[in-house]
Amino acid sequence: MTPGVSNILATLWAVMRKELRDISRDRRTLALVLLMGPVLYPALMLGMGALSESRTRTQLDKVLQVPVVGAQHAPNLIAFLETHGIEAIDPPGDLDAAIARQDIDVALEIDADFGEDWQAGRPAAVQVVHDSTRRNAEIPVARLRAALGGYREQVGMLRLMARGIHPAVTRPLSVGTRDLATEDAKRGVLLSFILPYLLILTSFIGGAYLILDATAGERERQSLEPLLATPAARGAIVSGKIAAACTLGLLSLLLTLLAFKLSAQLAPGLGRMLDVSFLAMGKMLLILLPMLFIGTALLTWLAASAKSMKEAQSHMTWLMLLPMVPTFVLMVNPIKTQLWQFAVPFLAQNQLLLKVIRAEPIAAEIWAVYLAAGFGLAALLWFAAVRRYHQEKLAIAG
Amino acid sequence: MIIARNLHKAFKTRTGTVKAVDGVDFEAPDGQITGLLGPNGAGKTTTLRMLYTLMKPDAGQVLVDGIDAARDPAAVRRALGVLPDARGVYKRLTARENIAYFGELHGMSRAAIALRTQALSEALDMDGILERQTEGFSQGQRTKTAIARALVHDPRNVILDEPTNGLDVMTTRAMRGFLYQLRDEGRCVIFSSHIMQEVAALCDRIVIIAQGQVVAAGSADELRARFGESNLEDAFVKAIGSEEGLHA
Repeated sequence: MTPGVSNILATLWAVMRKELRDISRDRRTLALVLLMGPVLYPALMLGMGALSESRTRTQLDKVLQVPVVGAQHAPNLIAFLETHGIEAIDPPGDLDAAIARQDIDVALEIDADFGEDWQAGRPAAVQVVHDSTRRNAEIPVARLRAALGGYREQVGMLRLMARGIHPAVTRPLSVGTRDLATEDAKRGVLLSFILPYLLILTSFIGGAYLILDATAGERERQSLEPLLATPAARGAIVSGKIAAACTLGLLSLLLTLLAFKLSAQLAPGLGRMLDVSFLAMGKMLLILLPMLFIGTALLTWLAASAKSMKEAQSHMTWLMLLPMVPTFVLMVNPIKTQLWQFAVPFLAQNQLLLKVIRAEPIAAEIWAVYLAAGFGLAALLWFAAVRRYHQEKLAIAG
Repeated sequence: MIIARNLHKAFKTRTGTVKAVDGVDFEAPDGQITGLLGPNGAGKTTTLRMLYTLMKPDAGQVLVDGIDAARDPAAVRRALGVLPDARGVYKRLTARENIAYFGELHGMSRAAIALRTQALSEALDMDGILERQTEGFSQGQRTKTAIARALVHDPRNVILDEPTNGLDVMTTRAMRGFLYQLRDEGRCVIFSSHIMQEVAALCDRIVIIAQGQVVAAGSADELRARFGESNLEDAFVKAIGSEEGLHA
């Protein structure tokens, strides 16, 4: 006699309710599981956004003091720089050491022969001195270069005109660029690395605590054997546990997304970088749903063969690194978007989340490939986990 | 009524195959308490696990109320109330919730669960602890909760693996009374123990198991007569061929 469908559903429902009630009594764990994502991630991103924005603004607006070696050789250049917000100051004794100590971001060296070359119409040498590995120096260096370039252009044109030549002669090619990155995409650059990882991680291991506690923990506390001695179908028991973990994970994910929405309203900076419409949130949720099932089913499967809770928990270390793999791969080897990528777990979520963040449309066939592959893998892992629960040695604790 | 026919079970370990159960044969009739007596490691728990379908025998047959355990394990589990060797209760649930959870897994209605919980609570003297979370329960309170949970569906057959392990004298006495009550209700009760005095005091029939085999079976009087010893303890030692387990 096989148990009826209603029986299986009743068991699944009973197990799910019990697991959720069980964890709801463990207030501290529950708070940590539910609130860590929603509180920590927006705080992290708001903080990062505020930091980078204030850095950019102050570095662009305030007067840049640049130590100049040999300023006396080029008073006109110094005066030109002054009008562009760059003030020449006396260089320290050892310029290279000062840059190495990060006392100075950028300095200018004017050749001793500058005046002579200038008068003779020869290229007069100046050198921009900086450390290219220091990100903090990027903006000052760019400002100085732009100002020097401006001076070169201006004087060059004047010299040509003085000789009766149209300046356009020296410009056979006019190179312009049309940047097709949308405004939304530009804003998303900062978020594109960190946000997908955080969201994928939240969904991937959102149900981890509950499922480890309900599988490896249940076995360790010696309550699995009595449970399996009841007539309840094992598939229904496992599914109930997975369902409970997914419910909790989903709740944590929803709270995280809502927290992003809320903080976008509080801090307009984040809102500019991230599409926080309800439609975008819904898409993100749909993208992350298969991940939640995949992570929970995978953990169930792993925990079922773990001898102890400790062993099961030790899997978390490498599982937390998994969602980072596509981020690293994309950083080292950026690849073009292709359809097959949406069948690869983690890579697919990463790419799709990026599309949503950049407010790009997602084609129907991409959705089809993604959802089929995502839910297919989840179903496979679920089946493997259920199979493990039919093994004889599973029930026997210790 | 539970019948075990020529049960065999071997485990593969790193050092080779261990025959945990090697031909166990016995019948446990309704309305009697059948005791499985044997030293630690004799194969009692493995035998019981085969009875309640947690393990499949390598050979042999288990019949519970005439149902073959290999053919319909779910029906057998419905007909059994089991207190396994592992008897963890859910710490964050109250005793009542622990019992109700298993009732739900047996497909019982809320009203039926409440009625049975009431009856079991009276029989096991649990009224004071029913609404408490089981975290911090004494060993006796935990065992009572586990037994109530195992019997919530009012099974005809009851299997208890060393139910008095770790209980104090008073709780053990109360447990004995409860087992008599189960027997008098006409149920088939199987009870395992490594403590000879306990089995002798409680059981209508005794099955002595050593090294995975039944070495003797019968009532206490029959066993005494068979081994020519007036003392059951000496009969036990003779039956298992060593003094192993007597001092446990």
